[in-house]
Amino acid sequence: MNTLTVGARALELDKDGYLVDLNDWSDEVAQALAVAETLELTPDHWEILRLLRQFYAEFQLSPATRPLIKYTALKLGPEKGNSLHLNKLFNGTPAKLAAKLAGLPRPTNCL
Amino acid sequence: MSTLHVLSHSPFTDSRLDSCLRLCGREDAILLCGDGAYGLHSPALHTKGVKVFVLAEDMQARNLLLPDWADSVDYPGFVQLSIDYDKVNTWL
Amino acid sequence: MSKSLLVISRQAPWSGPSAREALDIVLAGGAFDLPIGLLFLDDGVFQLAPHQDAKAVQQKDLGANLQALGLFGIDDVFACSHSLAERGLTPPASAQPLGNEDICRLIDRYDQVITL
Repeated sequence: MNTLTVGARALELDKDGYLVDLNDWSDEVAQALAVAETLELTPDHWEILRLLRQFYAEFQLSPATRPLIKYTALKLGPEKGNSLHLNKLFNGTPAKLAAKLAGLPRPTNCL
Repeated sequence: MSTLHVLSHSPFTDSRLDSCLRLCGREDAILLCGDGAYGLHSPALHTKGVKVFVLAEDMQARNLLLPDWADSVDYPGFVQLSIDYDKVNTWL
Repeated sequence: MSKSLLVISRQAPWSGPSAREALDIVLAGGAFDLPIGLLFLDDGVFQLAPHQDAKAVQQKDLGANLQALGLFGIDDVFACSHSLAERGLTPPASAQPLGNEDICRLIDRYDQVITL
């Protein structure tokens, strides 16, 4: 079993490194997940991670790339809701990587 | 555009045939297979005037008689029908 | 040009996997930019009923998922007027109600149809 150690807690991860339990997520957990991906979280990253949490709370789904871009444009404006911005932040795989760091399940409709 | 509607559930326990008859177009046809073959006993099917096919072996297994308003097909015939019609809508 | 696909969802939301499978096909198609339509027919229209509680039967919230269709590029969402009326449901805001003739033409318009 994959686990992620954050402070004194060992959190369960699935085989692709996604949190098994959505409720395990916290800022510290996101930070630890980012370290595992060798990604440094900037305020621009956090903004998207919180947006993804909001997306999941609203639709109970992890978005594929296109809906993620659309939703970001809707909530944060087109200068952030575009593939260039999101690809740059999340190493070219925004739907998968951002979902992982936000503690969401792996997007199912996304290759 | 024509559609071949494939029905495999008995119309006496299930609403598929009713809905299909409600929505099917003049160019369409219905293929009955499995328990769908019991549709041969359904007056609704006959009165609608839509073309009806039934899979021969399913009819035979259930000892159903082929009425003059329906045609029976074997499996190669089923395949041919699915080519002849523009698309196949299987009511799963 | 990819082929267009109409998915007809005709099972009630909590009666088995069909409703979810229909939605998954639609979302996957949308992610691949397929021209895709979704029609709720027969008991499928119960998926559109408001204030359902998926958690009560330990299921994922299908109603919430359906609200995301627009974001997945699925704008052609329809519901059978006959099925709605038969079940005493008022036409929902999230799907365009269609009569029998219109549904017949709708099926004609798509290259492929999947009924679940």
